Amino acid sequence: MNGKKLRVLVLDDEPIVCKRLKPALEKQGYEVDAFTESAAAMNQIRQMDYDIIITDLKMKGVDGMQLLEEAKRRSPKTEVVVITGFATMETAKESFHKGVFDFVAKPFKLSEIQDVVSRAEAKIRGLEN
Amino acid sequence: MFSVLEKIFHRLFARKQGLVGFPQIFEHFQELLQDHQKAMELMADMGEKSGGDYIFDKKYLYDSVRDLQTLLLRMVKGLNLIASDRYLGLYSALDRVFFPIESELQGRLRPSDAPYVIPLADAPVDSPELTGGKANTLAEIIHRLHLPVPNGFVITSRAYYRFLERNNLEDRIHTWIESWISGKEPLLKASSQIRYSILAGVIPQDLAKAIRQHAEDRGHYWAVRSSAYGEDGELSFAGLHRTELNVPSEQILETYKMVLASLYSPEAMNYRRRMGMMGEEATMAVLCQEMVRSQASGVLRTICLESPEQDCVAIYASFGLGRTTVEGTDAVDHYVAEKEPPYKIKIAEIAKKERQLKPARGGGEEAMLLSQDQQLQAAVSEETIRSLVKWGLALERYFKRPQEIEWAVDPNGECKLLQCRRLYSPETVGEADKDICESCSQYPVLVQDRGVVAHAGVGSGPVRVVQSNDDMAQFPDGAVLVTRYTAPWLAQIVPKASALIAERGSVAGHLATITREFRVPALIGVDKVTDVLKDGMEITLDTHHRVIYSGRLQELIRYELIQSTVFEDAPEFRHLRRILKRVAPLHLIDPQAHDFTPEGCQSVHDMIRLIHEKAVQELIDLPAFLKRFKGAKVWTLASDLPIGLKILDLGGGLDPLAEGNTVREDEIRSLPLKGLWAGVSQPGTWSTEPVAVDIRGLMSSLTRNWDAAGTALDGFNLAVISDIYMNLHLRLGYHFNLIDARMHDEAHHNHIYFRFVGGVTDITRRSRRAQVLADILSDYHFKVTIKGDLVVARILHLPKEEIYQRLQALGRLIGFTRQLDIQLRNDRDIAETVASFFHQHAELTGAASTEGAENERKKAQGSSVG
Repeated sequence: MNGKKLRVLVLDDEPIVCKRLKPALEKQGYEVDAFTESAAAMNQIRQMDYDIIITDLKMKGVDGMQLLEEAKRRSPKTEVVVITGFATMETAKESFHKGVFDFVAKPFKLSEIQDVVSRAEAKIRGLEN
Repeated sequence: MFSVLEKIFHRLFARKQGLVGFPQIFEHFQELLQDHQKAMELMADMGEKSGGDYIFDKKYLYDSVRDLQTLLLRMVKGLNLIASDRYLGLYSALDRVFFPIESELQGRLRPSDAPYVIPLADAPVDSPELTGGKANTLAEIIHRLHLPVPNGFVITSRAYYRFLERNNLEDRIHTWIESWISGKEPLLKASSQIRYSILAGVIPQDLAKAIRQHAEDRGHYWAVRSSAYGEDGELSFAGLHRTELNVPSEQILETYKMVLASLYSPEAMNYRRRMGMMGEEATMAVLCQEMVRSQASGVLRTICLESPEQDCVAIYASFGLGRTTVEGTDAVDHYVAEKEPPYKIKIAEIAKKERQLKPARGGGEEAMLLSQDQQLQAAVSEETIRSLVKWGLALERYFKRPQEIEWAVDPNGECKLLQCRRLYSPETVGEADKDICESCSQYPVLVQDRGVVAHAGVGSGPVRVVQSNDDMAQFPDGAVLVTRYTAPWLAQIVPKASALIAERGSVAGHLATITREFRVPALIGVDKVTDVLKDGMEITLDTHHRVIYSGRLQELIRYELIQSTVFEDAPEFRHLRRILKRVAPLHLIDPQAHDFTPEGCQSVHDMIRLIHEKAVQELIDLPAFLKRFKGAKVWTLASDLPIGLKILDLGGGLDPLAEGNTVREDEIRSLPLKGLWAGVSQPGTWSTEPVAVDIRGLMSSLTRNWDAAGTALDGFNLAVISDIYMNLHLRLGYHFNLIDARMHDEAHHNHIYFRFVGGVTDITRRSRRAQVLADILSDYHFKVTIKGDLVVARILHLPKEEIYQRLQALGRLIGFTRQLDIQLRNDRDIAETVASFFHQHAELTGAASTEGAENERKKAQGSSVG
């Protein structure tokens, strides 16, 4: 692991997603904050820039798309990974259009999201051509 | 809902019945087979999801159940179309099987379904909402770990609701809580008012009767313990609720109310408010266990709180009842043992114990002085300490959290487990700050990114490669089970293993299901892992990253133990497992059994099995079938072999230029039939080797075509074919073969289903023959199940060349099996016979089975096969 640890924010209103992702990503060497309420997560990204944001799309209140826009506006370098149970082509396209790094459909394997995050890290660290 | 559909379909179908021709019926049969396949895959997928490698949410559960329901409805419709509505009872079976699944999906069990009182030994696992945290934990220990727990019964949360309802307490409690939260009334007043109302309540007759029945049936004195929902789970509630020891049967009802009332002690109310649980209803089940009149008792912790950095178990012991140790009022014996084999006892301090607590006559406890001699004696033997250490490690491995265990030695000297709960300690939480990624990177990685996760988790121990029964008998507690195949017979040692790693096998198979049941981390399909992992090597498996490390990763094991969530205990997983319990178990195994009917279906799997079996039977009953479809053209295959095969071509299966009623072998165009026939007609397959009976008499019985007025053996050999498909029923004397196969250009459309049953000899020889078939088919990578003398083998999604190769092998196998009953005189013959098959057909089978042949030959030379 070179350089300082990357900061990752996880947002999903299903607590199980946060509870599983946080330790898995911590073991991979990231600093992870996890939120089940989108308003709290929104608050957090206004106070701190994250390297990677992993967010659900459909949630009560602020949805993932709004969070994604806000994150990108504040810190364009932030890579956003979208997870959602409503995996339709439209939402996927829309989120790609808004600069999403990648898209993972529920249910997913831990290894799938770990791979995506590793690739995002490679891009951030400038290792990707 | 399905009953209504049933009527509609009945009416629709009744009108059309006369019009349905064979090709349509066969199309329904084909669709039914496809739906059958999909339903089986969906079921397997749900099983796999319960292993923790996937992240899923409630929507997945809804979608899966809905898809399963759609498939089953289609299969029920399909079977009734094939069988002229003779299985309408399946529509009510659909209702019966799916309604409880739907109510599981919507949340809780409908309260009206649950009993007031359940014997502890029968309490369901995964239902803490019904039996509360404590009782649910003990139910898991009884069913999964088989440790001795005192008998007893659980007064369920449904009983609690019944009690509230009878006394109109729900509103009253709600009002008092409201006024406390809003600050109108002080906590103490609200608490005492609620408790007073509960204590003054009347236990309804039906409930009281149920409790008395269980209490009087069993012991005379009881330990009556709270078992609140959430207690001993993620929240500790430690000591907030009431436990009464040595309660005589006649006082159980009063004590029950006291325990219920403790749900509203000021401490408990405050705790729930702090934990943000005020919005939910608090519920209380109550656990009543026979009192153990213990000669000694104590506590075990799987972490030494004094020195948590050491990898040790701590045990405290004293004479008499456990309160002495639990409350720490007196000096007690103190042991510290290592967690790694040979579990060395590092510290054994025998304290001077002046008194012991004993059950008092008429209830309660009393202190008694110990004699001078006794005061300096150890309360328990070292042997007891050693077996307690093993209990502790098994419990920590299963629950994946540090555990605190209360135990007692009964008057017969037998050790019993009284309570088991998660151990909360500030010391363990502090460890979380260390950088786990950094720590792990210091260990050598043996294997990475290989295999599929059957059950997620981290497990560590010495490697034990298991290849035979002897290896199994010596399998040590806490070792890592390494095996080449996920053989079902390994199931019995899975509970002892700290992890399982297999070279080959399926995450949907039986052994994978067992690893999930016993929560043993398991990685399957790690090719050639036995080349790397050797007996005695200390390793750590982390399925979350699919890594096998060399060494025991203390930091990682500790990290896992203090995670905020054990996935197995997350509501989604409990939910899925409860649904799976109504989906996956198979009760209808024997098609000849009297309950092999729509009424006998208890699970979705039962329905799938029944429908499939009945649909296949419809095709087997050929005379009746052909009578129904008089117009269908049936060909006869001209062949030197004594098999009178009839062929029904659905299209493209035969040379279009064929004429008359007879076709030659070279006019077969159906790929699967070609493959099979190539095997059947291979020189030497239709064996003429002498065997120890009159071969001519046997051959004639094997191949005779019985006349139409004949017996139960009546039937034709029929192949229903198309260019890429074959459904073949072959009755050779008493042996009955069914092969259904498809050879599409795209591998994922392909399958072979092979079913073999029957025989003229006794059941022992028939079972041996089944074993021979299973061994041979497994070497061709078929998934094989045996039940008595029925063998079912399946293989899926192979490229068509490989399907062809296997059909050829099946053709030879069919020829080979005709004489098996006669040859298999003892169990040793199984391995020899398997070896001789591979020997005869070595060139056909490629690498897998050459290896198989070698293995079998080795086995045959070695000992007999059990």
